[in-house]
Amino acid sequence: MESIIRVDGLAKHFSVRKHYKGRFAPLKNFFTREASTVKAVDDLNFEINPGELVGYLGPNGAGKSTTLKMLTGLLVPSHGEVRVSGFNPWKERKAYVRHIGAVFGQRTTLWWDLPVVESLELLKYVYHIPEARFRENLSHFIDLLELSPFLGTPVRALSLGQRMRADLCAALLHDPRLLFLDEPTIGLDVVAKERIRDFIKYLNQERKTTVILTTHDLADVQKLCQRIMIIDQGKLLFDGGLERLQERFGGKRQLIVDFAEHYPDVHVAQAQLKDYQNRRAIYEFDRRELSASELIGQVSSQFQIQDLTVREPDIEATIRNIYEKQLLKVPET
Amino acid sequence: MRLFFELAARSFRRTLTYRIATLAGLITNIFFGLIRSSVLVALFGQQSEVSGYTVTSIITYTGLSQALIAYLMLFGWYDLMDGVHTGEISTQLLKPLSLFRYWLAHDLGRAIAHLFLRGVSIMLIYELMFDLTYPKDLGHWLALLVSLFFAWWLSMVWRFLVNLAAFWSPNAQGFGRLLFFAANFFSGFMMPLGLFPDWLQTLCYLTPFPYMINVVIEIYLNIITGSELFFLLGLQLVWILGLSLISQFILTMGIRKLAIAGG
Repeated sequence: MESIIRVDGLAKHFSVRKHYKGRFAPLKNFFTREASTVKAVDDLNFEINPGELVGYLGPNGAGKSTTLKMLTGLLVPSHGEVRVSGFNPWKERKAYVRHIGAVFGQRTTLWWDLPVVESLELLKYVYHIPEARFRENLSHFIDLLELSPFLGTPVRALSLGQRMRADLCAALLHDPRLLFLDEPTIGLDVVAKERIRDFIKYLNQERKTTVILTTHDLADVQKLCQRIMIIDQGKLLFDGGLERLQERFGGKRQLIVDFAEHYPDVHVAQAQLKDYQNRRAIYEFDRRELSASELIGQVSSQFQIQDLTVREPDIEATIRNIYEKQLLKVPET
Repeated sequence: MRLFFELAARSFRRTLTYRIATLAGLITNIFFGLIRSSVLVALFGQQSEVSGYTVTSIITYTGLSQALIAYLMLFGWYDLMDGVHTGEISTQLLKPLSLFRYWLAHDLGRAIAHLFLRGVSIMLIYELMFDLTYPKDLGHWLALLVSLFFAWWLSMVWRFLVNLAAFWSPNAQGFGRLLFFAANFFSGFMMPLGLFPDWLQTLCYLTPFPYMINVVIEIYLNIITGSELFFLLGLQLVWILGLSLISQFILTMGIRKLAIAGG
């Protein structure tokens, strides 16, 4: 299959003025122009195929938004090549953006002081969408995103969730094959998040739209993404499915045991005893070394058990694990 | 073209939504118009004519120059600049449209709304208070309309150009303020250029600024007539095209340098 996005050796370096500290620092800062280079994105390589739904993750400042801005043609890369649907995004910006949709969660593309529907109608002319197709899409999205109650409301009077739904609609009226979402669920309540997720899922599955989304909400990832890319300090650290991520970096599983009576020492050979209080013990074990049933067998052969639970590491813990311990530490170059 | 019209229409409707701001602006413009006219009339003293201006035409001048403030955004326009600084510009760059034409359409809608809300309205109120001069015939009224349109176009291109400084400086507002102030001096907004010494008038007419204000006002006051009128309308157009080319070129460079903030 021909890939829809191809990124080769992509890099973006920013030059940042040096700031001195100390007594004469203000003077020094005023007269010197020493700059240092920050590598916001450094040597990225990946391909994305049509129809994929990719989660692009990383801690704040990792280079996610910078990458997205280069993919959408907003930033000119320092090095490297980007081809998206056959376009060079920044060189052929006007022709290229006709084929993509983008929602940057913290900004709106709608006219602040005018009713929502006015902004949506304008897009018919911006993208030269045929009237029939435009009406069909509009009424369809109005149903799916439940926009009708506030179509006549000025955008400044909308709640964040309503605004986000309206912005999603605005990004899709011209049938883009590719959709970029930068933190589409940021600041939304649980219900609003769920509604947005359902919609993204629909776009990907029914309309075959390729979606790339960045998020800090790992529930988005768990519910939506078939593929995850993790970036930190400008480098791609992981690229693959959710299961593989869990497998490789998932924290340890836990076995929680309530004993029938008090034992002074409940240590077992292969698992680590994390906590032991009031006849309840928490063991941690690695799925690669030990299966749950083996551990339960061991414990129950030595002690009387009243109750037990096995707790899987959640994705949140997995990702935290990766960010904090820098498990995917960038190789020195 | 349809897109241009639709954009301008939205911008027009948007401007109409700011009712209180319009009223406040209108009152301020009239208030300062009265102050300016009394100062200039006092300068006349016993003379009935100074450099081709009569008391009636100087009062009309203050009304006209106040009426152009909102139409031409004489005290500064920073929308594009703010867009670059806040990163809002990304939403425009993600649309298949030219940034220049987008803002041109946007400003046209706003300008037409302001021309009536804070232009024609000022002249009507002036009419109730003073004797005014008017264009002498239909031809002059038509020439006035054309030069008013060209004046807006030129002023928009000029303001757009100033705003492009934002691509290079994170604090370009001060720079903009200085330029807008200078423009108001050279354009004949503060004083009719006819009252300046000859060498200064010549200097002013080497800049695009008189073509935004002084030319429009002198057509209205029948000071510019005949073949000179066509010549000056032509020069307005020449400046529009010249500044448009320059701003297109600088815009292209600016977008390449752009680092969009936030997000």
